Amino acid sequence: MPEKPTLLIVDDEANVLFTLKLVLEEDGYDITTASSCAEALKLIHNAHQFDAILTDLRMEQEDIGLELAEAAAKLHPRPVIMILTGYGSVENARGALGIQVDYFALKPLDLDDLKNALHRLLVWRGRVRRGRA
Amino acid sequence: MSALARQKMALIVHPDLTMLSRYQALLTRAEFSTVVARDIPTALMAITQHYFEVAIISSQLGESGDGWPLAGVFHLVFPKSFVSVIVPGADLLNLQTAINNGVQEIFEEDHAPDAVVSAILTATAIPATPSARNRSRLQ
Repeated sequence: MPEKPTLLIVDDEANVLFTLKLVLEEDGYDITTASSCAEALKLIHNAHQFDAILTDLRMEQEDIGLELAEAAAKLHPRPVIMILTGYGSVENARGALGIQVDYFALKPLDLDDLKNALHRLLVWRGRVRRGRA
Repeated sequence: MSALARQKMALIVHPDLTMLSRYQALLTRAEFSTVVARDIPTALMAITQHYFEVAIISSQLGESGDGWPLAGVFHLVFPKSFVSVIVPGADLLNLQTAINNGVQEIFEEDHAPDAVVSAILTATAIPATPSARNRSRLQ
């Protein structure tokens, strides 16, 4: 079990990346960021293992974050997959349900809800000890 | 580890007795052993007593939306099992709630129960009709 759970945060908005990195680093996570789906796909296919991937949906293209989620869902071990979007729709939520994404949040984010969900999902998957990070 | 031969089990939780009965008949035909419940306490008791492969839960039991946390508990207890929820409409909020509770599929209330069961059997890769061996056993 890693001491510091590793997170990949993917968003094309620099301020969102900065804020999430700041907040989650403070909670004890080891953060890697990517500003596009393509960059994130390179990272996950390049022997980088992440305990959780938090991704926006609309980046280079509409709903392209689902491609990353789908690729992440095929990894072994499968990371926790969280989608954070300002453009939620029935179509992309149905896509996320089909991929069996672990969490779907609409922006503006409630950071406490996000942190609680992330911690709960990582503990449940056995990626962190209870009460840590 | 030896393979234990046991009948697959399904949990059906719905406030409407007619719907319970229809789902039970369909799942029994697909060779499931079913446990039915009309409320959360009964469903929780069943969850503590059995290992379920499938659950069909109405999102509205005693009051609107109270089926969701039950589906979430089912997913936490049986992470490899298939949990589906019957909803009034497949809107964004219901889809989001489904994802966040670990639900695999949602079906609208006006979906025919046989279509729901058929979709579940397909998703879980369980043959919808009894196998030749099982049919002969019934004769």
